[in-house]
Amino acid sequence: MSVMDEQIARLRAAAEARIGAAADGATLEAARVALLGRRSELTQLLRGVKDLPEAERRVAGDALNRLKTDLAAGLAERERGLALAARPAGAVDLTLPGAPPVPLGSLHPLLVVLEEICDIFHSMGFTREEGPDVELDYYNFTALNFPDDHPARDSQDTFYVSDAVCLRTQTSPAQVRVMERRTPPLSCIVPGRVYRNEATDASHASEFFQIEGFSVDRDVSLADLRATVQQFVDVFFGAGRKIRFRPHYFPFTEPSVEVDMACASCGGSGCAVCGRTGWLEIMGAGMIHPNVFAAAGYAPDAYTGYAFGLGIDRIAMLRWGVDDIRLFYENDLRFLHQFRGAW
Amino acid sequence: MKISLDWLRDFVTWEGDAESLASLLTMAGINVEGREEFTIALPGVVVAHVRETARHPQADKLTLCQVWDGEQTLSVVCGAPNVRADQKVLLARPGAVLPGGAKIKVSRIRGVESQGMICSARELGLGGDEGGIMELPAAAPPGTAADALYGFRDQILDLEITPNRPDLLGHFGVAREIAALTGAMLTAPALWTPPKTSSERLEWSVEIESFADCPRYTAHLARGVKLGPAPDFMRNRLLAVGQRPINNVVDITNYVMLELGQPLHAFDRGKLSGTRLVVRRAGQEREFTALDGQTRHLDDDHLIIADSAGAVALAGIVGGSRSEVDASTQEVLLESAFFDPLVVRRGARKLGLVTDSSYRFEREADWNMVEKAAWRALHLLQQHAGARIVPDRVDRQNPDRESLPPIPLRIAQVNRLLGTEIETTEAVQLLQALDLTVVPLGQARNRKSGSANVMIEVPSFRRDLRAEVDLVEEIARLRGFDRLPTDPAARGARAVAPRALDKVRRRVRAHLSAVGYSEIVTSSFLAREDLERLGLADGDARRNCLSVRNARLEGETLLRTTLLPSLLRILRHNLNADLDCPLRLFQLNRVFWPGARGAVEPSRPQEDQLPAEPLFLQLAVAGRTESTPAGLPAGLWEVKGVVETLGGLIGWSLEARPGDSEPYGALGRQWRLEEAGSGPVGWAGELDGAVLAGFGIEAPVCVAEVDLTSLPAVLPSLAVRPFSRFPAVKRDLSLLVPDGVTFAELAAVIRERGGDCLESLELFDYYRGKGIPAGAAALGIRLKFRSAKGNLKGTTVDKSLALVTEELAARFGAQLRA
Repeated sequence: MSVMDEQIARLRAAAEARIGAAADGATLEAARVALLGRRSELTQLLRGVKDLPEAERRVAGDALNRLKTDLAAGLAERERGLALAARPAGAVDLTLPGAPPVPLGSLHPLLVVLEEICDIFHSMGFTREEGPDVELDYYNFTALNFPDDHPARDSQDTFYVSDAVCLRTQTSPAQVRVMERRTPPLSCIVPGRVYRNEATDASHASEFFQIEGFSVDRDVSLADLRATVQQFVDVFFGAGRKIRFRPHYFPFTEPSVEVDMACASCGGSGCAVCGRTGWLEIMGAGMIHPNVFAAAGYAPDAYTGYAFGLGIDRIAMLRWGVDDIRLFYENDLRFLHQFRGAW
Repeated sequence: MKISLDWLRDFVTWEGDAESLASLLTMAGINVEGREEFTIALPGVVVAHVRETARHPQADKLTLCQVWDGEQTLSVVCGAPNVRADQKVLLARPGAVLPGGAKIKVSRIRGVESQGMICSARELGLGGDEGGIMELPAAAPPGTAADALYGFRDQILDLEITPNRPDLLGHFGVAREIAALTGAMLTAPALWTPPKTSSERLEWSVEIESFADCPRYTAHLARGVKLGPAPDFMRNRLLAVGQRPINNVVDITNYVMLELGQPLHAFDRGKLSGTRLVVRRAGQEREFTALDGQTRHLDDDHLIIADSAGAVALAGIVGGSRSEVDASTQEVLLESAFFDPLVVRRGARKLGLVTDSSYRFEREADWNMVEKAAWRALHLLQQHAGARIVPDRVDRQNPDRESLPPIPLRIAQVNRLLGTEIETTEAVQLLQALDLTVVPLGQARNRKSGSANVMIEVPSFRRDLRAEVDLVEEIARLRGFDRLPTDPAARGARAVAPRALDKVRRRVRAHLSAVGYSEIVTSSFLAREDLERLGLADGDARRNCLSVRNARLEGETLLRTTLLPSLLRILRHNLNADLDCPLRLFQLNRVFWPGARGAVEPSRPQEDQLPAEPLFLQLAVAGRTESTPAGLPAGLWEVKGVVETLGGLIGWSLEARPGDSEPYGALGRQWRLEEAGSGPVGWAGELDGAVLAGFGIEAPVCVAEVDLTSLPAVLPSLAVRPFSRFPAVKRDLSLLVPDGVTFAELAAVIRERGGDCLESLELFDYYRGKGIPAGAAALGIRLKFRSAKGNLKGTTVDKSLALVTEELAARFGAQLRA
């Protein structure tokens, strides 16, 4: 046994005794400094290795480093032991997960958005109405000023049950159904499921959700529509979002517009979310066509009114960064449970 | 529709680049769906002179050419039949990349080196093959880059043209819109002008069977037509907007359609029989071979153009192959007509054939453009096909056609609808920019002008403007919607109460999501097999589904009468995803019951064809396999418990009656849910294992469903009741109950005999098996007594208890356990 070996054996014995004797955190910390600190004998020996004859250097270095590792492990083990010993016997492990009385469920994100939008319009005096999913062709098209057999019908691929009966392609038929029953002034909001006979892809579903809104009175104007839409956008998307009205064509409104909102992702400079236009289309709208009032049995020129329609799916996608509409209808709980906090 | 900016510049100029033009159009209501660059670039392709040709030593059909490309002589193998010495051609040098992506290299063809390739028009993306390689004029200087001759750069806008604006289905119409928006000058295209006098007769007549089907038909004759490729500018523009060039005559008709929006048709005069065309319904004719070579079946409704031998064109849809213009054509009979939109639309639908022509006719042609477009095409035929136009022509028109009356415009109505304060003069100026004419009030043909400020006459290309509101929109559009006011005091601000059903729905969703259920949204469709898998009996009303007759979806064509298949499909998906069980789902969705719709007001004639659409709440626990502390199957008791709790919250008095009412339920594990006064309103139970297996599910599934629309949608009106502050006395009953006696029966007796002070009873244990005699179960029931008047004495309670146990023993043979 070389001198170095003896020295290491002695050091090890003394160190282990000291670690074992440490009865609390403070003495253990003092032991760590004395055994492994910069001024410790072990550190001095390690520094001296480079001065040893070349033949011994490697063996000595290995042995000293092994001792250093062992002492560090011994210190850590003693620390755990002291911590354990400090706990009263039978104590509860307070790091165990909490146990709520029941697991959490979730509301469907589309219906969360739908209810929230209805609430906003409700706060502006709109009452909620409903229309049937299976609708007469008359209410879905004819009463809404779509001429029979007209190209305007092509833009909405329709599921037909019979010549007279289809699945509604829009929530707009409720306009005439409600107006037939009620006399202005009226402001209504009609949420519901709509159907399009289309192939499904990341941005198209054959069943999806819309909200129709309309307001009819003696002198409702486009200015009222703009104000109402702006208030909705301020509450739902946050104050200060710019909107613009862009002319468009719908048979049942005249003038007709599409409403764009400044893109939040890029602030209007153009990005992938808004297709580099700086604007996001959020709804179609316009002033209710006189032929629609006529279908509802109102006297010509007696009333004016506006109507608008929003796609719930699209708005939910924008709000939560959902990039594939099919996620809403797949109902995978790993998706749905991400909306546990959404009300 | 694709619009070439190069083409557009023939008619109008505008400030700014393609992007600013796109935004101008977008804000005018013409949505720009896409922008692209179109280029024809042919790097590495040059004009070359074929100096010598020789037969390829190894192959009869190949020619070995010595070609001078302006710098050097190259040896090139060519397979085209029309290659010959002293010809000017386009040569792709080694390194050139052709439009199809092919890279030209020095290669060996049948043992002979070829230092490039002599190209056909098709290979260069310049058109079709006309019998081999492209021949250039003899004067073309060798070495000239092909780009200098054939290169083309253009910018293309893809416009979304709404169905009310057929006038925008041509470049000129878009230019006219830009001119109206910017105030720029509009340049009209050059037209053929008929000479004042001429004795040359057309010698063709046109007969129209019904002016309703075809209110106008014109025919012109072009003689001495020289077939060949169309000029480069025309071919480039057609390529740029996605049309394939064919030959000069056909290209000119397509070009004019894309320019002016009016479809034309060119007949080869030499292939027509007789001297008379008839526009008529197909009648007995049943077959027609179109230009695409396909034979199509006609019925009576199809409108055709016929010569003495039968149909030569399907009016407004497609021409026939019999009179097709081809290399032998010398005389062209040019059709320009106005066909009824509905007739064209129905004809095209029936054939499943939508063409550029039918698309435009369905949206209604421009009456005045019928002749202009023909004259435009005749001009181009003169210029680019060497044609001589016969001055005589046919123009048959419905003599009774009425022009649209002028539209009265009330400025007050404009301002009422827009919320503006526009002056009449401003409104008139805006409308005049669109070529609308102001008719002085005194002259208005329509006396119904009422309180109108002005009468507006609409040009033939804006037939979409029919009423005052249409003019209001044009005013708003041209003025800019952003200049319209926003009324800060918008209407509304009326307090409104939520509907009862919405309140119920809200409470149901809040409660279920709070107790662990996740809401799903499922499809309204189901498949016929789903009904089989549920095991519904033949007479089950739910087998009677409405079906969608034109669904594009595969298999799923029925409207659901039950939510169950959709639930099971979602459950299977999630059970297969290795999630922690149990899974808890719920949905609130409609089902569709044909013929069950109640009366609606007001009722339209077909209203009874609509189904009832009850709103169902359905909830499910899947994969819950353990037992309750009382030893009952936990999933089954959970759904029962949830429905009972929910009923209590909403104010239903639901009663769960045991009974096997559903074929898909497990035997002996089902309840019918009934509401006092409403009858059966739902079902709860465990699903049958075989039914689940049919849907690919192995885990147990328990379901409860309630028809919300059959329940009173009235939330309970809360009224606070006083409660006793005196202490309660509890007693546990340990009973041995013979089989066949139900808990409900026991509970009824306990309540009956327990006295006024019995506050509640609760089942805390249920056990059968070891230590219990066969044919009996052990029940532990905890009774709680409390008086409103004072402290209850133990002896009082024990007396009530004795009455209870006596009666239980007497009626059911239930014994107290030691």
